[in-house]
Amino acid sequence: MRILLQVRPILAALRSHKTAVILLMLEIALTMAVLGNLVFIVYGNIQRSRVPTGAAESEIGLIQSIGVIGQDNPGTLAGDLAALRGTPGVATASYGGPPLWYASPSPVFLDPDRSHAVTQAYEFEGSQGLSETLGVRIVEGRNFSSEELPDASQWGQIKEQPVLITRALASKLFPDGHVLGKTFYDGNTAQRVVGIIDHLRGELTGRLTDDYSMVIEYRVGPQDMGGGFMIRARDPAQLPQVLRAAAAALQKANPGHVQSKLLTMAELRANYFKSDLAAGRMLVAIMLILLVVTALGVSGLASFWVQQRRRQIGMRRALGATRGDILRYFQAENFLIVSGGVLLGAAFAYALNLFLMHRFELAHLPAHFLLAGALALWLLGQLAVLGPALRAAAVPPVVATRSV
Amino acid sequence: MFGYYLDLALRSLRRHKVLSALMMLAIGLGIGASVTMLAVLHNLSGNPLPGRSNVLFHPQVDPRPADLPGAKEEPPDDLTYLDAVNLYRLGVAPRGAVMSANWLPVRKDAPDSPLAMYTDRATTADFFAMFGVPFLYGSAWSAQDDANHAQVVVLSQAMNQKLFGGADSVGKTLVIATKTFRVAGVVADWNPQPHFYDLNSGAFGKAEQMYLPFFTWLDLPQDYGYGPMNCWGNDPNAGTHDPKAKQCTWAQFWVQLDTPAQVADYRAALVQYSRQQHQLGRFQREPDVRLRNLLDWLDYKHVIPVTVRMQTWIAFGVLLICLVNTVGLMVAKFLRKSGEIGVRRALGASRRDVFAQCLMEAGVVGVAGGVLGLPLAWLGLWMVRQQPVSFAASAHFDPSMLGTALSLSVLSALGAGLWPAWRASRVAPALQVKSL
Repeated sequence: MRILLQVRPILAALRSHKTAVILLMLEIALTMAVLGNLVFIVYGNIQRSRVPTGAAESEIGLIQSIGVIGQDNPGTLAGDLAALRGTPGVATASYGGPPLWYASPSPVFLDPDRSHAVTQAYEFEGSQGLSETLGVRIVEGRNFSSEELPDASQWGQIKEQPVLITRALASKLFPDGHVLGKTFYDGNTAQRVVGIIDHLRGELTGRLTDDYSMVIEYRVGPQDMGGGFMIRARDPAQLPQVLRAAAAALQKANPGHVQSKLLTMAELRANYFKSDLAAGRMLVAIMLILLVVTALGVSGLASFWVQQRRRQIGMRRALGATRGDILRYFQAENFLIVSGGVLLGAAFAYALNLFLMHRFELAHLPAHFLLAGALALWLLGQLAVLGPALRAAAVPPVVATRSV
Repeated sequence: MFGYYLDLALRSLRRHKVLSALMMLAIGLGIGASVTMLAVLHNLSGNPLPGRSNVLFHPQVDPRPADLPGAKEEPPDDLTYLDAVNLYRLGVAPRGAVMSANWLPVRKDAPDSPLAMYTDRATTADFFAMFGVPFLYGSAWSAQDDANHAQVVVLSQAMNQKLFGGADSVGKTLVIATKTFRVAGVVADWNPQPHFYDLNSGAFGKAEQMYLPFFTWLDLPQDYGYGPMNCWGNDPNAGTHDPKAKQCTWAQFWVQLDTPAQVADYRAALVQYSRQQHQLGRFQREPDVRLRNLLDWLDYKHVIPVTVRMQTWIAFGVLLICLVNTVGLMVAKFLRKSGEIGVRRALGASRRDVFAQCLMEAGVVGVAGGVLGLPLAWLGLWMVRQQPVSFAASAHFDPSMLGTALSLSVLSALGAGLWPAWRASRVAPALQVKSL
């Protein structure tokens, strides 16, 4: 109640410092606008880096093994996969790459003439057992049966083949909900949907299209092909050791290959988000600078006012105001100024967000970020004003009787 | 006069040490942030080949079908195999090089030596002379070698270090994609940034590890991609195993044109070529050619990463906030001096004098802020260098940034001081003197 009674005189006092008050509010508003959007960007990046791809990430390891064309080599895919599956600790293995690895979507069509692409989708192509190695969850329909798989040696002449697609891609291609048994077309063949999987994200850009994926399996055996080989470890904790052992077994089974990379899915994910998170750290540094500058401004101006008003403070003390009254006066004053700045800042933040959305594809700033920004600034203001306010409270009443 | 004002400013700043320090710190932080990003921006938009950039040109033709829904207006960045070879053989430019990139398995020419993948650039002889590539050992291959599909290779210094321990390896042999190649030369440290001649895999980053003759490279038993491909039509994978697919662009081509007349002639030759291809029925579109020089090409390709542009905006936002902060503090500070200003006015100082004196104080704050901002910018650039981004190496401190930092700082401090100084100069002398 006492605080509320003080609002009037505070406002009256602030009116005589209009310029400085307006400038301080402006600074707080700008800080809030920039801060709100930066927190939003950083938070968005962190959120995105936690989205699961839908594969059994903790168990998957990748061996990039490149075949040297033109070299005499006894190795075959059947031998490669047998060597990988025979490694202790390997649950299953297949030829084909995981999400986040050279993933780029290609167009899919509903008409055989391929005149109009419905959307772009990630194609996960590989040997028999790819869906099992990826660890995707089939929510409708069934997995491939080994008889229906096309043979890899027929590549380029296959007319139609079975495919698993994600639920997201299914509802994009066939919005009426009847998906199983339907066909669509990619660049090469007709794809007949045999099953729907819940999620499989090719990339993690934050877009809805990340989850537009399909899994295609071929029967492989006598060929020698290079590329990505995936293993799935029985025990996620053992994955790094198992991966190394599997790579050694693969190299032994296929001496004509160059192994250029061994990566666990966790490393792949870390690489994928490396630069985003680094940029995030830069933004955090900028946020800290902003907070420091704003706090400096608030406390600088506050201590200036305290100095300027020493006599008035002394008088109020002499007339019966307690130290607590003086302290609360400056705290309430700060709260009023910051509140004004926060209101203006909410408008600025939206304006800045619109600009960033337009220029850098940023999403819409949700209101709770503004609320959090306001809370942070109130807190910052109170912290910054505490020192000067305490100094003001310490002004002895006797000051009133002295001339300046 | 200047000396006297300076003295006044220093005295005034000394009187309110904390407030002055706060202003300087605020400006210093703002300058540190914005100069860091300016330095990154400056380095990223630098000229990769100063002295040569104005004679290097990037020809483009448009071989796409007439009706291609959703296609861009501009002709494709790269050339199809056929156009690349045709333009290479056109012979109108004094120098020209066709090129692309992939990676190949390489081992030393000794039994049981281990295989490893190395990145390469497949190009033609003029590449080295045209771009001024410095050689550590040996030299480039010749145009004759290109014509003969000779199995020669030019190594980077790093690859020579790895395979031959840094020794002069000219004349030694290597097995690349199962074929035996003779080392013709070793390139000294050369990695222009932006990587202007091929922006397909990012504008900044590492140089290729070796250089092979283009036509020899195409003959090799290999299929490791032929550089990023763009194909039109129904099958986006048309060129996956066939670099000669007619609907796929992937080869870069650069020419050197020394005089405006040569440029005009070459442009005419490109139009002529397009028209001829149109008549042959290969090109469906009317001749639509581009002949950008190196810097225009970089401009057109917007090589500055989005994150850098965004962070630059943010850094200047921070500077703006720091300046608003400084304006507030200066208003308070100058008004605090009202009594002093009143006396000075009463003693005969004009409004102009007071204004100039206050502005001088702002200027001193600016200089101090700039001096403080420089080490902060240096720290900021160090932070950028620690980032795992392709352009990290470009974030070095350029001496020219020294001047930029100081002048930006002084200018922004003066800008921030204008209004407070104007207000201070409006102080009514009588009122102030009376209250003393």
